Amino acid sequence: MIKKLKILLIEDDMIEVMKLNRTISTLKLDHKIIEANNGEEALEILEQKDNLPDIILLDLNMPKINGIEFLNILKKDSVLKYIPTIILSTSNNQKDLLECYKTGVAGYVIKPLKYEDYVSKIEKLLAYWSINELIVV
Amino acid sequence: MSQNQVEILQRALTREKAARRAAEKILEEKSRDLYLTSQKLESLLDEKSSQLQGVFENIVDAYVVMDLKGNFIKFNEAATKLFGYDIAVDKVNVVHLIHIEDYNYAMSSFMDLQTNSFFKNYEARVYTKSKEVKWVHINASIIFDKNKKPVAAQGIVRDITAQKASEDKLIESENRLASLVVNLDSGIVLEDENRKIVLTNNKFCELFKINANPKDLIGMDCVAASEQNKILFKDPEGFIQRMRAIDADKKAVIGDELEMLEGQILERTYMPIRIGEKSKGFLWTFTDVTLKRTYSKSLEAQRQKYYNIIANMNLGMVEVNKNEEILMVNQSFEKISGYTEAEVKGKNARELFAVDGGSEIVLEENKKRLKGESSSYELKVKNKAGEIIYLLISGAPNYNIDGEIIGSIGIHLDITKIKNLELQKEKLLEKLERSNDELQEYAHIVSHDLKSPLRSIHALVSWLKEDNQGKLDAVSLQNFGHIETTLEKMEQLITDVLNYSSVGAETAVKADVDLNSMVSELINILYIPEHIEIKSLHVLPNIKGDITKLQQLFQNLISNSVKFIDKKCGSIIIDVEDLKSHYKFSIQDNGIGIDKKYHNKIFKIFHSLKKSKDSSGIGLSIVKKIVNLHEGEIWLDSEPNVGTTFYFTLKK
Repeated sequence: MIKKLKILLIEDDMIEVMKLNRTISTLKLDHKIIEANNGEEALEILEQKDNLPDIILLDLNMPKINGIEFLNILKKDSVLKYIPTIILSTSNNQKDLLECYKTGVAGYVIKPLKYEDYVSKIEKLLAYWSINELIVV
Repeated sequence: MSQNQVEILQRALTREKAARRAAEKILEEKSRDLYLTSQKLESLLDEKSSQLQGVFENIVDAYVVMDLKGNFIKFNEAATKLFGYDIAVDKVNVVHLIHIEDYNYAMSSFMDLQTNSFFKNYEARVYTKSKEVKWVHINASIIFDKNKKPVAAQGIVRDITAQKASEDKLIESENRLASLVVNLDSGIVLEDENRKIVLTNNKFCELFKINANPKDLIGMDCVAASEQNKILFKDPEGFIQRMRAIDADKKAVIGDELEMLEGQILERTYMPIRIGEKSKGFLWTFTDVTLKRTYSKSLEAQRQKYYNIIANMNLGMVEVNKNEEILMVNQSFEKISGYTEAEVKGKNARELFAVDGGSEIVLEENKKRLKGESSSYELKVKNKAGEIIYLLISGAPNYNIDGEIIGSIGIHLDITKIKNLELQKEKLLEKLERSNDELQEYAHIVSHDLKSPLRSIHALVSWLKEDNQGKLDAVSLQNFGHIETTLEKMEQLITDVLNYSSVGAETAVKADVDLNSMVSELINILYIPEHIEIKSLHVLPNIKGDITKLQQLFQNLISNSVKFIDKKCGSIIIDVEDLKSHYKFSIQDNGIGIDKKYHNKIFKIFHSLKKSKDSSGIGLSIVKKIVNLHEGEIWLDSEPNVGTTFYFTLKK
């Protein structure tokens, strides 16, 4: 059975948020998107321990707390560190990749130029996590 | 007969009677005297013979008596001891005692004894009863009876074994001494009172250029000889006069120097030889000291030379003892340190100069000196004014003439200027590295920031198309298509710029790269249209390099070739040639070719010859950058419409 995922999207670019929402509706997927415009907002959302997301999609390049800083905060938390976090990034900077995997990410996806390619990547990503067993805290 | 006659006769008779009585009386007295004398003589003789008997019996030397056949009749105590025989028991004949090698000598001496009735100073070896060999000295004589008939022989035998042995030793050492004199490295002449040569040696003949055996010179007159020899010397008359003066004086002279014509220098000594009060002659000794003189002269010159070098060299020199106390510094060190020699002498060098943990370094280094090791090291110190200076020190242990370490000597080069430049360079490098990193980061951020809007535009255009499906005319759709193509090109451009700036920024570790398998994998991955054939003429080598960059290099060149092939049957030929330090690669295609005037331009960034969707004009710039990173060159041969060959070299 395909699981209905609760997804926390941390993204400052409004159009990127629209892209994900549109993709999910186009694909007729029944996942719930929680939006956070930046790291601080996301942390606030994550305070509600009874309503934690199943997975987190994280943009690296954000103002205030950037993606890697946010990731570090997450991984230091005894509960939040179990939430699979997938990076959505424009940058294929090797340094970033290394840093992310070292800190502990569940995936690193490059945002493609073409929207069709984006849809296809997101479809696969969500399909994958829908069939995974996740820790329920 | 007359009375007178009677009376005369009577008187005569009386006188006659009286005379006889007197004579008788004298005779009686005389015979009494004689008796007494003989009595005395007899007792004297007895005394003497018993005395003699005692002498023989008790004599220290052995006394033997034998019969004429050679059988011993009598041994005194010493003889018994010497020969080991007890002749009361043993029957011994003289022949048994004679040493086999002395038999003939013994026989001839025995003949002497018979003819002359004695022999003297017989020296030969004998056997004792225990077959020990002893040297003996014998004096012997024949014993006669009353009728002068020989009855026996007696002999006094002295044991001279020990004396003989020391004589042998003496001869041996005399021989040794003689050969020593003959072969001595000094010329020697021993002359007698009349200046006649008694002894000389080979070296003397050599020094005075006398072509003769030293033995042949014995007896020669030294005065005459010196008249001949004087021409060998620079001052012949001086030579003769000095010799005469010495001879007249007859006193020891030591260390006279004589200069010979050929430049040799001889040292002459004169020594009267005396044993007790008796003069045994005069000994002249001549020693060639030319080498010694020249040695000490050149040694002095060398010393002066090195002293001058040390004093004037631009390197500071410091000599310290084992307690690190300064013994000596040169002028240059005074200049470097700001101290005068007097100010630092006796001070502890380490405590005086070291700063910032330099003390520990010097301690370590001094331990090495005590172990006899030399080494060089840099040291930060303070001069007299308290300023920090940097020294390059080359230290070595210092030895005394017995080879014991007595301290160390350090040569100091003031490298403050160089060091400051080095530090400055290090700082600059650090700064450069930092700004390179920043630039790299910057490139990534910029590319991210530039790409994001492109993505958004693309998404928005897609949505416009989706949301207005069926409502848009063909031209509008075409224009949307143009927007998308432009976005793609823009994105490629940003990617390439980023790549270009990345090449050379990331200094990956160089490893062995198997180009052959790398290129064949690459050909499998790349999109190669079916009409194009790629061939490798030779197996590509392994080289030291950065695998991702090398991959990019081949990828860019092969894709370039693929991109520009306009012929029906395309061909790309990859080849390699082994140069000494490099490999030369070539990638040849039969594409559109490049006009000669563009050959230099194409490697410059943003110089694409053919403006197209998939050509940003950065590919070849990246190629050149990678080749340069591998210490190589890149160039090309091309003819428009025929094809292009790119050549590049990579360091092995």
